[in-house]
Amino acid sequence: MIVDIKEVAATPEAVILQFSGELDFESIKSLVDAFKKIDTSSRKYAIAEVGKISMISSAALGEFMGFRKTLLEKDGDLVFAAMNMDIRAKFTSMGATKIFRIFNDVRSALNAFKWQQGLAPEVINLTFPANLHLVPPVRQLASRIAKQKGYGNKDSFRIETIIDEICNNAIEHGKKGEDQNISVKIDIDQKQIEFDVINTSDPEKLETLKALLKPTHEQKIHSEEKRGRGLSLIKMLSDELSVDCSEKGTVVHVKKVREVKNGISN
Amino acid sequence: MNIQLPYKFELSFPGDIEYIPAIRKFVSEVLLVSQFSPKFAYRSEIIVDEICNNAVNYGCKTEDARIDLICNVYEDGIDFTVKDPGGDHHHIERLKNAVSIQSDEKSDKGLGLEIVRMLSESLNVVIDEQNLTSVRIVRKREDISQNN
Repeated sequence: MIVDIKEVAATPEAVILQFSGELDFESIKSLVDAFKKIDTSSRKYAIAEVGKISMISSAALGEFMGFRKTLLEKDGDLVFAAMNMDIRAKFTSMGATKIFRIFNDVRSALNAFKWQQGLAPEVINLTFPANLHLVPPVRQLASRIAKQKGYGNKDSFRIETIIDEICNNAIEHGKKGEDQNISVKIDIDQKQIEFDVINTSDPEKLETLKALLKPTHEQKIHSEEKRGRGLSLIKMLSDELSVDCSEKGTVVHVKKVREVKNGISN
Repeated sequence: MNIQLPYKFELSFPGDIEYIPAIRKFVSEVLLVSQFSPKFAYRSEIIVDEICNNAVNYGCKTEDARIDLICNVYEDGIDFTVKDPGGDHHHIERLKNAVSIQSDEKSDKGLGLEIVRMLSESLNVVIDEQNLTSVRIVRKREDISQNN
């Protein structure tokens, strides 16, 4: 068995262990030595790249488990990447798939670590025609992305509601025409999600919109008044809301902080 | 207000497998509201899934790699293009081989493009000198009168 330790320049807390050969009983010493080397460093996230190994013994797996425990105590982890089908089957039969996270490749494993550490938000951009029929798929997309990234059901539904409201407003109050588009930018990380929804302003409605956005108007919203409720709803569901409207276009920016209770996403 | 065809939508997302289920569902749902049949929408979803998986697995080398999906929707069908920054030389050659192989040839294509070819009218791949890869698929309604 050969093991190479590779540093990750862009992510100093992560390290890649590239294995080849057989992880049998005789390889335990090399394995332990590699783990010790990492343990004495500042690295806490280890990616075991095992695409080139042909077998893994229970003893070796036991060492991986032990080292993972060490890294967990440092708020880190040990994960596997590029596992072939045979090794994966062995992992499954030993119950190891319930313990270790396994990624398709090193890149995915690194992205997961960066996500966990909140090192950089991930950005999704979407442009679609200004038509109300397209709003349901757009809000579902936002909700599904939030859920996939670990946001809870309640948060995901609120995100869906926010996007629905903003996009509906952008279409209903924006400039009409077959060539009009809505742009949505989603920035999402471990702690919060931000949206920017941009449309082309309708010059005839611009002044009305500006009036709606005045702080004094919000206080005057009565139960029988239908205009302006959408923005109030978005404000209730989000942590920040700002609207910038001009002759060129309207940009609605919303931030929603992820709700976590007792360590569980809401 | 019905949707006026043709129209275009564009998506850009990180080159990460995690996004693909939401992306393919989005494409499927957009097609359904655009009056395509559930069968057409689902088959399009399969194609998007396959192409995007290839783009992520073989076309994204760096951590900040992104995938672009551009879809044009017409009365009689759709075309969509998936762009990725390009993989290494080995993966580029594999992709070229997979695209050029005829459907009745048996070989280890490994890229799932056989499924894509079965479900689409045309499949084109363009790779530029910087390995930026674009895969373009055209799908026609199977029978306009049956709204497929």
